[in-house]
Amino acid sequence: MRLIVDGTPIPYQPGDKLLTAMLRNNIHPTGGGCLCTGGDCPHCLATVDGVSYVRTCQVHASPGMIVARDHTAGYPPLPEGNVYPEEVASRNLHCDVAVIGQGESGQAAATTAMAAGKKVITLDVDQGQEAIGIYNGPLVVARANGEMWYIHVKEEVIVATGAAEIHPVAPGNGLAGIYTARAAENLARAGIDLGKVISVGTAPNYVWHEHVSGRIMRFEGTDGKVSSVVVNDGATDQTYACDSVVVGLGFHPRDALRRMGHDLPVRAVGDAARESDIPPCPLAGTVCTCSGIGVEELDYIWDHGFHEMELVKRGTLAGTGTCQGSVCLPHLRSYLQDRGQELQPPFTARPLTRQVTLGEISAGAHHHAMAESALHDEHLKAGAQMERFGHWWRPWTYGDWQAEYWAVREAVSIMDVGTLGKIVVSGPDALPFLEKIYPTDIASIRTGRSRYVLLLDERGFVMDDGLVCKESDTRYILSLTSGGSSHSEMWLRDWAASGPYDVRIINQTMSLGAINVTGPYTNELLKRAGLEKPMRFMRHGKATIAGVDCHVFRLSFTGETSYELHHPLKDSVKLWRALLDLGQDLGIKPHGLEALTRLRLEKGHIIIGQDTDLDSTPRRIHHDWMVKMNKGADFIGRQALLRTNAIELDKMLVGFEMDTREEPNEGDTIWVGEEYVGYITSRTYSPILDKSVMLGWLFYQDGELPTDVTIKGRPAKRVDVPFYDKEAARARA
Amino acid sequence: MLALNRLDTTRIIATPAALDAAAYTKDAVVIRIAPDEALVIPAQPDLTVADEHAIVLQDSAWSGVWVSPEKAADILERHCEWEAPAALPAQAQGAVAGIPTKFYFDTDRVLVVIPSPYQREFEHRI
Repeated sequence: MRLIVDGTPIPYQPGDKLLTAMLRNNIHPTGGGCLCTGGDCPHCLATVDGVSYVRTCQVHASPGMIVARDHTAGYPPLPEGNVYPEEVASRNLHCDVAVIGQGESGQAAATTAMAAGKKVITLDVDQGQEAIGIYNGPLVVARANGEMWYIHVKEEVIVATGAAEIHPVAPGNGLAGIYTARAAENLARAGIDLGKVISVGTAPNYVWHEHVSGRIMRFEGTDGKVSSVVVNDGATDQTYACDSVVVGLGFHPRDALRRMGHDLPVRAVGDAARESDIPPCPLAGTVCTCSGIGVEELDYIWDHGFHEMELVKRGTLAGTGTCQGSVCLPHLRSYLQDRGQELQPPFTARPLTRQVTLGEISAGAHHHAMAESALHDEHLKAGAQMERFGHWWRPWTYGDWQAEYWAVREAVSIMDVGTLGKIVVSGPDALPFLEKIYPTDIASIRTGRSRYVLLLDERGFVMDDGLVCKESDTRYILSLTSGGSSHSEMWLRDWAASGPYDVRIINQTMSLGAINVTGPYTNELLKRAGLEKPMRFMRHGKATIAGVDCHVFRLSFTGETSYELHHPLKDSVKLWRALLDLGQDLGIKPHGLEALTRLRLEKGHIIIGQDTDLDSTPRRIHHDWMVKMNKGADFIGRQALLRTNAIELDKMLVGFEMDTREEPNEGDTIWVGEEYVGYITSRTYSPILDKSVMLGWLFYQDGELPTDVTIKGRPAKRVDVPFYDKEAARARA
Repeated sequence: MLALNRLDTTRIIATPAALDAAAYTKDAVVIRIAPDEALVIPAQPDLTVADEHAIVLQDSAWSGVWVSPEKAADILERHCEWEAPAALPAQAQGAVAGIPTKFYFDTDRVLVVIPSPYQREFEHRI
């Protein structure tokens, strides 16, 4: 059996860990440093089968495994270029007690919990189950044999991860050939010949060695390999020639998981709960291998007033590397105790305790789901380019936005508007409730009529817009923007619950389809489809259109005669196809958002969130005519408007024209001479006006709104909106 | 792959008392989305609700499928942070693979229901 290290096949024996296999072939990890074989230190990292930062002491060798050591600058290199991680499966598990570690104390804890009738989940690193973090819940996240486990714990997490050995800190501790006592024992059991061994501190078992006592002063060697160790016996420095140095400097608990769950029901047992041995204060050498922090850096930061463990960690980054302090923490505590005469507790531990791949970290996570309207496949069949818009997939264009535009202006067109928010409010308090919600005089809306409305927040800023359509004295239909319906529903429900309002609210946005029919031949098309008499502007009612029961709304966003046909979702395709069939000789075409955004801009209609900011009041967007301050009922935002309306305006959303077919960009700045005076929010070349038209925020200059401005180096003029059909004769036709 | 079908449902917003008292057909699965809202499968065209302001919507915008308890447990384990209820029958709702989902746990089978606009994405993710 062979695996490949740096392009060369090497043999290994059954049961070998990858590190063991490499050492068996006299290949050391290129990072150097003391090896622990316990998964604690960062000294055996390599890239394995394309995954960086793999602890080779924790991975079993397998045939054909590709290993790249190139661990020369403290860390293995990350992959170059774009890497698309393989998808990693996730699993959610639930238990009363989770036990991390299955040594003696871990097994005992699990047995005790099971005997008490608890549902127990155990994690055993020897079975490939490695806990990497504990989060609120508590939630234990573990990497387990190619999956990510999310363990939801009801009662307690028990950390039984044992203890780690203390690494030596002295000049030359980055040389290869230094081992902890436990590592030396493991390697000896695996049949690895360590050559002539000098042991310092607690001696290893099973390893032929010469034991010396005293403090390690430095390691010496050539070509990155240790050749001798200098030990002070209390009087003088003694040099011992060797092939390997084995150190037994004591233990400290592997308790990072317990520390990161310090305010959660997490406790440590066994060696993970022991007190840490504290090594002698380091005098010289590398303390934190991961971040390359030596004693001189600690001296520097101490001298600059960093005397607390958390500050030293932040000031030096010691303990923030891949081993998360497993190597440096006892030495940092010793250093600070020596300088400050006080033993400080370990620094805070935070997830993750282990490096993870992008695939692992994203396991089980999803981007926001995009909804598809009932006509999605019809759009695709018609060649639509679909775009994400307000959490929906919507047709941007069917290939020729100008043809779609002209179909609306000169013939007839349909658009899928099923994504628009559709909410019904019913109940004896529907009217007072809506009076509270909207700044409009709702009481003056007659049954069968609709009114354009703004939705304000408590600060009087515009949140959304839409229609209020009265069905009866106790029932209203609200139309909202596609992106705003979910938030608006919550807004309505919150206010309904907060007041004495006996109302029922249903969000039927996803339950109903809606098709907008628009253009000068709309009435003719709908007549053919069964609407005997054209409806008057801003009226609504029920009708059967092409055999489909619809609620029909007469309105206009395009500036042309327009109807919205709301209908059961199951009938959307039938209705869509029927309208296209019936309108063939009328020049019917579906239109997408690209055409619509231009059509609406010619009419000066705003899009909430695009043309408005978070501080847009009705007055700033020139919609104060929609606010009835004295309608006889308080409404949300009224108190704020009373105050802000008394303040002199500083800016307004206004229209601009430019005699060019060139379109400025949204966000382009507006200038008067050298002075910045605003920016563009919407722009289009208007085919019917043969000029560019825009909306933008304009700041007052000396109490006046400038008229002649410069946009993108070209002269532009502030004008009143709408740009097209100022009398709205076409929409009302 | 899990293949869902369009469902004919009735969605009702009414007072909790009216929803409790409504006479649903014997084969109806009633999922109480909220105290004042019920989703009833199959559709209940003749249902009367003792609330004059109730909103009753014959709603074809839901998709669903009956699955075995084992399959439901697998879906929950793979794609959901919450645990299946222990006592049956029961209902539950929340995000499954990031998509709003409702479960009706019968004694020997489980109904999975989602809004139809998410059907394709749900099938893909599951």
